[in-house]
Amino acid sequence: MKKSLFSFGAILIVCLILSSGPAYGFDFSKLENQVSEHTLENGLKVLVMERHHAPVVSLVTWCNVGSADDPKGYTGLAHMFEHMAFKGSSTLGTKDIDKELELIAIEDSIFMELRTERNKGRMADSVRIAALEKSYEEAREASYELVVPNEFGNVVDREGGVGLNAFTSMDVTAYMYSLPSNKAELWFALESARFKDPVLREMYKERDVVAEERRMRIESNPIGRLIEEFQGLAFKAHPYGVTGVGHMSDINFYSRQEADAFRKKYYVPSNMVVSIVGDVKAKDIFKLAEKYFGEIPYSPPPPRIATVEPEQIGERRMVIEDPSQPFYIVGWHIPEGTHPDRPALDALIDYLASGRTSILYKRLVKEQKAALQVAAFAGYPGDKYPSMLAAYALPTAEHTNQEIEDAIFKAVEELRTELIPDEEVAKIKARAKAQFINQMDSNMGLAMQLATYQTSWGNWRELFRTLDGINAVTAEDIQRVAKQYMTMKNRNVGQIVTEES
Amino acid sequence: MKYRIFITAATLILAAMILTVTVSAQDVSKLKYPDLNKLEIPEVEKITLDNGIRLYLLEDKSLPVFRVSSRINCGDHLEPLDKVGLASICGTVMRTGGTSKWTGDEIDEMLEAIGGSVETSISTLSANARVNVLSDQAELGLEVLSQILRTPVFDEDKIELAKVQERSVISRRNDDPQGIAFREYVKLIYGSESPYARHPEYATINAVERQDLIDFHGSYFKPQNVQMAIWGDFDREELLKLMNTYFGDWKMEGDPVPAPPTVDYKFESGVYYINKPDVNQSNIVLGHVGGLTTDPDYAERIVMNNILGGGFGSRLFNQVRSKEGLAYAVFGVYTSNISYPGVFYNFVSTKSETSVKAIREIIKQIKSMQVDIPTEDEMRIGKDGYLNSFVFNFDTKAEVVNRLMNYDFYGLPDDFLSQEKERVEQVTPEGVLEASKKNLRPDALKILVVGKGEDFEMPLDQAGLGAVTSIDIAIPSGEEKKELAVTEENLAKGAEILGNGITAAGGLDNFKKISSISMKGTLTLTMPQGEIPLQIEEQKVLPDKTRTVINAFGQTMYDISDGTTGWKTNQMTGEVVAKTEEELVEASKEERRNLIKLFQNSDSPDFKAVFAGVGTEGGISVNQVAIIDEAGETICTISFNAQTSELISMSYWGETPMGEGSLVQVYGNFTETAGVKIPLSLTTNMDGKKVMNLSISQYDINAEIPATAFEKP
Repeated sequence: MKKSLFSFGAILIVCLILSSGPAYGFDFSKLENQVSEHTLENGLKVLVMERHHAPVVSLVTWCNVGSADDPKGYTGLAHMFEHMAFKGSSTLGTKDIDKELELIAIEDSIFMELRTERNKGRMADSVRIAALEKSYEEAREASYELVVPNEFGNVVDREGGVGLNAFTSMDVTAYMYSLPSNKAELWFALESARFKDPVLREMYKERDVVAEERRMRIESNPIGRLIEEFQGLAFKAHPYGVTGVGHMSDINFYSRQEADAFRKKYYVPSNMVVSIVGDVKAKDIFKLAEKYFGEIPYSPPPPRIATVEPEQIGERRMVIEDPSQPFYIVGWHIPEGTHPDRPALDALIDYLASGRTSILYKRLVKEQKAALQVAAFAGYPGDKYPSMLAAYALPTAEHTNQEIEDAIFKAVEELRTELIPDEEVAKIKARAKAQFINQMDSNMGLAMQLATYQTSWGNWRELFRTLDGINAVTAEDIQRVAKQYMTMKNRNVGQIVTEES
Repeated sequence: MKYRIFITAATLILAAMILTVTVSAQDVSKLKYPDLNKLEIPEVEKITLDNGIRLYLLEDKSLPVFRVSSRINCGDHLEPLDKVGLASICGTVMRTGGTSKWTGDEIDEMLEAIGGSVETSISTLSANARVNVLSDQAELGLEVLSQILRTPVFDEDKIELAKVQERSVISRRNDDPQGIAFREYVKLIYGSESPYARHPEYATINAVERQDLIDFHGSYFKPQNVQMAIWGDFDREELLKLMNTYFGDWKMEGDPVPAPPTVDYKFESGVYYINKPDVNQSNIVLGHVGGLTTDPDYAERIVMNNILGGGFGSRLFNQVRSKEGLAYAVFGVYTSNISYPGVFYNFVSTKSETSVKAIREIIKQIKSMQVDIPTEDEMRIGKDGYLNSFVFNFDTKAEVVNRLMNYDFYGLPDDFLSQEKERVEQVTPEGVLEASKKNLRPDALKILVVGKGEDFEMPLDQAGLGAVTSIDIAIPSGEEKKELAVTEENLAKGAEILGNGITAAGGLDNFKKISSISMKGTLTLTMPQGEIPLQIEEQKVLPDKTRTVINAFGQTMYDISDGTTGWKTNQMTGEVVAKTEEELVEASKEERRNLIKLFQNSDSPDFKAVFAGVGTEGGISVNQVAIIDEAGETICTISFNAQTSELISMSYWGETPMGEGSLVQVYGNFTETAGVKIPLSLTTNMDGKKVMNLSISQYDINAEIPATAFEKP
C-alpha cells in the first residue's frame, strides 16, 4: 500500500513536470484502485479505501435524504431526525425498555391531545391547554427517569472515538466519526442500530434543543436572518426555499410518530452509502457490513422531489434593515451538480472570486478597498436539484452595498462579453489540480468525498473525474455559461442595510 | 448419514450466525477487538543551522506535497498599548506588501498560478508562516518564504488595505453575539489591556505607521528566533542546500525577545451584562482564571474537563442540553496553557426567557464536581476516552512535527505528550474530586450575559447572583480629537506634512504667484425641506478684498469686504448696508481659513502648523495638521492623504445657514490650473451631516478684476 502510494506520487510528479502545458493527463488510477466497493443485497453500498499510515479509521454514513425532503408543514424534520439518531436504541440508552416504551406512548398521546388543542388557535381552550401542558411535562419527566442519557455518545467517547458529528444539508443527512482502527466493529454495531432500531427517546426535549439551534443560527444572527429570507426569495416552488432547521412553529409541532415515519421512508439501505477510510482491510469491512446491515430487508429508494422550480422571469430583490453592518448577496439560478455545465461554472467561480488574484478580490478588496471579504460558490443551497451560483461580500466600513453590486455586475458583464485569457484558464486548472491533491490528505475528508460522489452521481469514481471536467473547460465555455445563466432576470439580490438607530 | 450430520452442523452454525447477526447495541461493551496495529510515531529530525534557525524535518512521500510551518518568537504582546493591532498588520503586510524582489501582487500571481500558498500572521505569542505547495515547487515556496521573512518592504497601499480591513473587523465586531461574549469575557479575566485579552480600536489602528511595521519586523525577525517544521515529499540533502541558499546568509543579531507578561488574577465574583436588543437568545459565559499545562494536577484536570463539560455524556451536556433542553450549545472546560494561565470557561446559549435558569443549572454542575465523586461510567468517559483516542495525536504528520516544534520552543521534552498519557493512566476518581476542589471556585465566578435583558425570566439583578455591572460595547470612534500638543517635534512634523501637501497641490512657488481669483458655481444648501441650489459668483484680490454675489430666487445678495470696510445685503429689507464691527471680525476670521492664503503664508516665520494626529476620512488614512494663531488658538485643521499628501479636508468651528457647529469641508473634483490643483467641489458637513456643497463651474486665476468690484454696489 505504502509502496503503491509512493509510486503514485512519483507518477504525479512526472505528470506535473510534463504538464506545464495544458494541465491534463493525470493518472489517478493508483489512488482509485485503493477503493473497493461492495453492495449488499438490500442495496446498501459500502466503500472502503485502505490507508495504513496510522492505526485509525474514519467511518461515515450518507443517507440520501435532506431538508428538501421535509414534508410540507414539517419543515426541519430531516434535521430533527438527525438529532434523534443520537438517542440510542431499544438496548442502548435505557434502564428498562418495556416500561420506557409504555411511558413514551403515554407521553405521545398527551402531546397529540395538546397539539390538537393548541392548533385551534384563538378557539383553543386555555384551561385545557394548561392542564395538558402540566401532564405533558410530567409524562416527559417520567419517561426521562428510564433514560440513560447520551449513552450512544458515551460509548463512542470512551472507546476513543473522535469527531462524533452529523449534519443535515438540503440534500443529504450525514453521520461521521473516527475510531482506533481495531474498533471498526463497534461502529457497525452502533451505526446499524441507530437506523434500524432507534428509540426516539427525549424527542420533545430535543425539539427544544433544536429550537435553540434555530435561535442561534437564524434568529439571533444577522446573516442567518438574511439567508432565511433570501432562500425564500429565490425559490418559490422548490423546497430549497426553506432553510434546513425549519420554521419555529413546525419544530414545535411534529410528533415522534412523524419523525419515525420519516425514518422508515428514507432510511432504507438502498438510499444509504457507508464509506470507510483508514487502516482496515476491505474484506473484513464487507463481512462486518453483511453481519450488521445484511438483515435489513430491501425496500426501494424513496422518490426524488418532483417539483421543479419554474424559470424566473424577473429580477427579485429584498432588503433587511438591521442594526448590524451591511451584507450583500446575489444568486443566479443554475442547474444541479451533475449537469455538464457545472465544471464551466466552477471554473467561472474560481476566476471570479477565489484567491487573491480573482477579479472580484483584486477590484473590491485590493483596489477599491470596498470589501472585507468576497466569495462565490455554486450549488447553493443544495446540489441535487437546480440551485444557485451565489456571490457575497461584506463591505468595509464607510463603503456600501452599492459599490459591491456595481463591481460584481461589471465583472459578470465582462464574463458575458469577453473571453477570459487562456493563461487564466490554465491557472484555474493548475489550482484545481493542487486543491485536489491537497484534499487527499485526510481519512475523514476522503471518506466524506467518496460518500458524496456515490450519493450524488451513483458512482464514487466520479470523484476522480472532477479534474477531467475542469480540464476540458475552455474560455468559450465560461463565456457561454455566463451568458446563459448570469442574466438580470435570473438573479436574486439580498441585502442587509444598517438601520439608523 | 455422515452428510446429514454435516448438514445439521452447518445449519446449527448458520443458526448461530443468524443469532450473532442480531448482536445488538447493548452488547457493544462485550465486543472483542483485535489488537491495534502498532502506532509508528514518526521520527522527526532536528537540525540547528549556523545562524540559529531550528529545523524539524519529517519526510513523507505519500503525496507530492511540500509544507512548512514556521514559528517566529515575537507576538502582539510586544506592541505598544496605543498601537494595538500593529503586530497583526505587520503579519498581514509582510505577505501582501511585497519584498525586495517581488511586489505582493506578483507573489499572489506566482503562487496562485501553481495552486500554492504562503501565508503569515502574528498572534499573541508568536508569528507564524505557512508554506503549502506541490513538491516540485518546493524551491519557489522556500524562496518566497525567505523573501517574506527577511526583506518585506511594507508597501503603503497594502498597509492602507490592512488598516481598512482591521477597521472593518472592528465595525462588525458587535454583530456576532457569541463573539461579543468571548471577547469581553477574556477582558474580565486578564484585564482589558492585557495582551491575552485586548483588541484593537479605530484609534490604535489609525496610529500605526509604516515605520512601526519596519521597526517591529526589524526587532524580532532574526534567524535565532525562527523555527521551521518541514514535512512532505522532499529530499533531505536537497532541502538543506535550498535552506542554505535562501537562509544561509541571514545573520544572527539583535537582543533577546522580551518574555510575555505574567497574569495577576484576583478571584472575585461578579455579574456583568451586555445589552443586545436584536437577539432572542442569551450568550452566557461563567468561570474564572484557568491553569498551566505543567501544573502537577494537569492530568486530573483533563479527566475533570471531560466529565464536567467536554462532550456528549458530560454533566453539562446531560443536564443543560439533554435533560432540560435549555441549549444547543453548552460546554465547560478548564483550559491550560504552557506559558500563562488559561481560562475556566463555561458557556451556554439559551433563549432569553431561560437565561437565569441556565446560569443556575451550570453553577449547580460546577459545584457537583466538588461534591459528587466521578462515577465509574464518568471515569470511563473522562479517562478511557482520552487514552483510547490517544492515537489520534499521531495520525497526521503535520500535528506530530508542529507539536514537537512547539514543545522545543518551551523547553518541554519531546515525549511530553506520552508522559501526560502515563499520568492520565494513573488518575483516580478521588484525584479528580481533589483537582475539582482545588481548581474550581464556584464561590468566585465571573458571569457575563450578552442578551436582551427585558426578555429574561427575571431581572438579572434580582436573580440572587450579585450586583450587576453593565458593560458598554459601543465602538469608540477613532476621530476623537486629542489635546493638541504644540511641541518642537509636532511643529516640525506639521510643517513637513503641510509642505508635502503644498508640493502635492502644485508647489509653494505656484501658489505665491496667485494674486486674484474669479469663480462661478452653484451653492446647494441641504435644508430639512430639501436641497436649495443658489447661483454664486466670487471675486477675490489677495490678500483681503472679496466680493460675493449670490442669486437666490431672483434676488441678488451681496457680501463685500475690501480689508477695512464691507457691505452686505440685508436679507429682510433687500438694502445694501455697511457691515457691523462684528460682521467685519467674522469676515476676517473666515479669511484666515482661506486655503490659498494659508499656503502662501506657510513659509513665514510666525506661521505655525502643528501635527495633530492621524485619522480616517472616507476610508482613507490621513495626517492632520492644525494651523494655530499667535495666541495658540486653532484656526483650522487640514487633513492630507497619509500616502499621497493630497488635500482631503479642512475642519473648523464655523457658521452655516443651519447654525454654528463643528464643520468639515471635504474637497473633491480637483482641477489643475496655473500649476496648482484646485478643488471644484467643496462639501461642508456639520456633525457628520452634509449641510452644503459648492460646485464650481468656472475658476480663473489672476484674471483682471476692476477696483470698482469692491465698492458699494
